[in-house]
Amino acid sequence: MNVLIVEDEKGLALEMDEFLSHEGFTIEHARTKKTAGEKIFVNNYDFILLDLGLPDGDGFELLKALKNLKDRNDAVIILTARGAVDDRIMGLEQGADDYLAKPFSLNELLARIHAITRRKHKLESNEIAVKDFRINIQNRTVHYREERINLTKKEFEIFNYLVLNKNRVISRINLTEHVWGDVLEINSDSNFVDVHVKNLRKKLSQFTPVDWFETVRSIGYRVNI
Amino acid sequence: MKLQVKLALYNTLTKLAIIVFTGLLILFSLENITYNHITARLKDKKDELMKHLSSKEITQILNQQQSFTDYNILKEEYIFLKPILYRSSRQTEESFTTARRTIEQTTDTYLILTYKFNFNNRSYLLEIGDTMDAVIQLKQTIKEFTLLMLFVALSLTLVIDLVFTKYLLTPFYQIIDRKLIRVNDPMNFDYKKVTTTTQDFELLDSSISTLMKKIADLFILEKQFIANVSHELLTPISIISSRLENVLLQEKLTEDSENKIFASLKTLNRLKSIINSLLLISKVENLQFNKNDTIDLKNIIAEVYSELEDRLEDKGIVFSNTMGHAYHFQGNNSLIHTLLFNLINNAIKYNTKGGSIVIADALYSEQYILEISDTGIGMDNEQIELAFNRFEKLNRHEKESYGLGLAIVKSITAFHSIRININSVKDKGTTVKLIFSKESI
Repeated sequence: MNVLIVEDEKGLALEMDEFLSHEGFTIEHARTKKTAGEKIFVNNYDFILLDLGLPDGDGFELLKALKNLKDRNDAVIILTARGAVDDRIMGLEQGADDYLAKPFSLNELLARIHAITRRKHKLESNEIAVKDFRINIQNRTVHYREERINLTKKEFEIFNYLVLNKNRVISRINLTEHVWGDVLEINSDSNFVDVHVKNLRKKLSQFTPVDWFETVRSIGYRVNI
Repeated sequence: MKLQVKLALYNTLTKLAIIVFTGLLILFSLENITYNHITARLKDKKDELMKHLSSKEITQILNQQQSFTDYNILKEEYIFLKPILYRSSRQTEESFTTARRTIEQTTDTYLILTYKFNFNNRSYLLEIGDTMDAVIQLKQTIKEFTLLMLFVALSLTLVIDLVFTKYLLTPFYQIIDRKLIRVNDPMNFDYKKVTTTTQDFELLDSSISTLMKKIADLFILEKQFIANVSHELLTPISIISSRLENVLLQEKLTEDSENKIFASLKTLNRLKSIINSLLLISKVENLQFNKNDTIDLKNIIAEVYSELEDRLEDKGIVFSNTMGHAYHFQGNNSLIHTLLFNLINNAIKYNTKGGSIVIADALYSEQYILEISDTGIGMDNEQIELAFNRFEKLNRHEKESYGLGLAIVKSITAFHSIRININSVKDKGTTVKLIFSKESI
């Protein structure tokens, strides 16, 4: 899948590049509205990561231009430090697929990209197998073989996110942010998420030992598969 | 006492003093003048009498003396002559007295000239009296007139003064009301000039406006500064955090470096939280949120509850919602959500294990009150005062607190004109009251 990163901050663009390349994406860069416009006009992208505050104009105009092109199915994720509620609403209204406020975690970006991919292209099956468990993303359910495991909404989110970012340590903060969004940015307790993970693991281990669900001491969690 | 009343009273009192003074002066001088006048007349009379005095006349007068005889019908004057013990060495002596005399059954106050003299080897005492009644009457009339004048003038000037000072001071009171009392935020200051022809008030008005403009400018500058700084800081944080995440992908990292990088990410996250909180406050204070949502408090509390359910469970806190009114108002849904989230989250955070949280409400004709009570560690009065300040951490051992939660609460309540009231007893618990006044919304 090819991704266009429209971002004038070179440092950030390079980090996203590195991370996404590692995940197997093909990356192109545009640092101004002008070059981005040209690239969008010429190529189809699976994803356009769009910064709103570009040196020569507003990213919203690029979004508008893209939506005026025919037969385009490029998914757009807006990345911005503006973070105003209005921006978020306006971006989604104008056809952006998602919106991430800076600073964001690259894991979170990846999770959003996966979610959009599934929603948009229906390329992957809605089911992910984890050992003997199956996660159904559409129905938001988890099954062990044929038996349904009763997970709360948050436990499902946590499990899903960890599986999506498999073999990678996910910090508590990252996990908290993913599950609760920005609400907890104030006075967040770092062990906030531990209760849920504990319950989740208890529910899973009723069926089979889950030693692949690892707690990384003082940092967070990792699902090794 | 109001300035207007003071001025009117002062004017009245000075007028009172002037009238009393003039009245007294008139009375006093009138008495003197008439007294002198009468004594002069009495002297003249005596002199005339003495000039034409003869034995015959004395006899005539003495004969008439059986009763006091008047010279005139009005009994204003009388003459009285009486022989007294003869002394050849007697000097003529004359004196004035005021006394009451009865002449033909009528008693009056007279000013009397008493004159003792020798005539033809006899001594006589002559009394010539002139009634004082006229004078006393005049005095009485003047007294009454003065009093009446005093009263009329006083009431008239008091009313006029009140009306005039009211007219005069109206701009002043307008300035006080519009520019001082009703201003609780320099951003909402009314710069429109108060119409007045009084120079001093113009000066006062413009001085207050200038001062307020300076304060407002500083306010705006501060807010812009916070917004800009916060905004500019977010991009570098974003870069560093992405870079650290990428470093974590490297497989040859030692556990120690991994831990350090996660710790750094945590610190960055903390920085981000502080900046986002400051940005939120600054946006609320800059009125960058709209108030177009119809807020259903019950609904929002249910949402917050579902978000915090697990924490409540974890701490074994009993949460009971006894809200009995469906109160709706116009506001910003996400801000009210943040407000209630922060308050209930605090109620959990500072609660004891197995404690309780009660949400209650009350509806009055003028206001609606929402109460959040907990059985937590509580605060003393000093802590309550500090609680709303930015970066004020009451519990210094609380590592994850940035001291911005209640500052956010404060800005959101101010934005929605909600009054907030904290009652707390140390080690007993805290009750936060949100008072929604119906007028302001």
